[in-house]
Amino acid sequence: MTAAPATDTGLAHELADEIAEVCAVAEKHAPHSDESAEFPVAVLDALRPRLLGLMVPTGHGGPGGGVDDLIDVTLALGRVDMSVAMAFAMHSQQVVGIVDHAGRRLADELLPRIADGRMYLASVTTEEGKGGHLLSAQAELAAETGRLAVDRFAPVVTGGQQADGFLITMRSPDARSDDEVSLVFAAREQLEVTPCGGWNPMGMRASGSGPLRLTGHIPEHQVVGEHGRFRDIAVNTFGPLAHLGWSAAWLGTASGALTRTLTVLRDRSKGRKADLGSELLLTRLSTARQRLDTVHAMLRYTADMVSRSADSGADLSHPRQQLLLNSLKITASEQCHRAVDDLITAVGMRHGYLRDSPTGLERALRDLRSAALNYGNDRLHLSDGRLALLDPEVRYA
Amino acid sequence: MDARFTETLRPFLPFLEGDPITADTPLRELGLDSMQAIELMFALEDTFGAPLPDEALVEETFRTAGNLWEALLPALPETAAHATEAA
Repeated sequence: MTAAPATDTGLAHELADEIAEVCAVAEKHAPHSDESAEFPVAVLDALRPRLLGLMVPTGHGGPGGGVDDLIDVTLALGRVDMSVAMAFAMHSQQVVGIVDHAGRRLADELLPRIADGRMYLASVTTEEGKGGHLLSAQAELAAETGRLAVDRFAPVVTGGQQADGFLITMRSPDARSDDEVSLVFAAREQLEVTPCGGWNPMGMRASGSGPLRLTGHIPEHQVVGEHGRFRDIAVNTFGPLAHLGWSAAWLGTASGALTRTLTVLRDRSKGRKADLGSELLLTRLSTARQRLDTVHAMLRYTADMVSRSADSGADLSHPRQQLLLNSLKITASEQCHRAVDDLITAVGMRHGYLRDSPTGLERALRDLRSAALNYGNDRLHLSDGRLALLDPEVRYA
Repeated sequence: MDARFTETLRPFLPFLEGDPITADTPLRELGLDSMQAIELMFALEDTFGAPLPDEALVEETFRTAGNLWEALLPALPETAAHATEAA
């Protein structure tokens, strides 16, 4: 990761036309994807030419995107479809995982394919029976002569049916505990990918995150980082970028909801019905906007911390850094959901609750309800309580 | 590493199974999770009478027994550190 230039001059500015095109496709497909709970393949195809490779360094044929670029693009996508924004952010997080941790051979094989838009990566970290713990794994990689055998069931794999490749956490060969975890890359053609159930959730329906079983063999050099050292990747790359990317997706979703709500309220075409002088309405709009500005400020500040840390070669494992990253996730998940809930109250039944309202508040609320559950806030609070104990002087990152 | 250190550390490594603790002994892989890492820090503070320095509270410190010991050394009272170097 490199420090990114300011928003208005960043890659998102250069790629404005591509982003607008993807958003138009996403907007068009969002109602059907939500209804059918299917991953929008047309949106993925629109992302391929330029945006799937956003985080690939220039040396490997990409534009060399940084954290701020990832946030800018994810925010824009979130405004039209939170599922698309989440899938994009998670793919980009996987790409940075490859950039920062893969060996030369794997990076040389994989990064040009990503830059060309031929490799959409899905993340396989969930596993039954471990309660969503990112840092442990039960299914063990089997070391055979010169290759590794993968046999892995995962209950939630966002975009798994469409993915061209997977980054998979597994217990390391001959591990002594479930905490000895390796991250491996497997291309779709190296695996047998078997869907093991449906996907019929409250929201995030277009993310197509149904369960999969993955079996196959991969060469030894497709281990990302060292065997047993997934923790380093999680602490320095996956964790920070997940929290930043998810928060951007949620903020984008709530921002889009506010935009559409304000558009309806300001619409004079049908003889404006809303009483824009209502103090109750004004207060509710203010509160919603305040929540989003709070999240935005925290998101940009945290991104800056991550960029500064990357530039100085330091890691992100200090308690005050982990606390800020976790606080961002918790705050964004709560405040973005609350903001949309406020807006529903503000505009009432017709534009707040009906599915066919142009405000889209109903889908935004359902989608955002997943935010607190996606790497659960309850668990993060337990981590943060421990981390708080380690910093009695209360210093800030 | 002195004996008080390894004795304090041993109960936090459930997968060690009686092997000796050396500087290269990995801590995370042998079962030191984040909650236990905090308990271990408090136990070390009780044993040596000094907390780990703030700058040592990073992932690298908890990678191996040797790293943790190195991080602890500057915080030790003179006598303990000298006794260790002599030993």
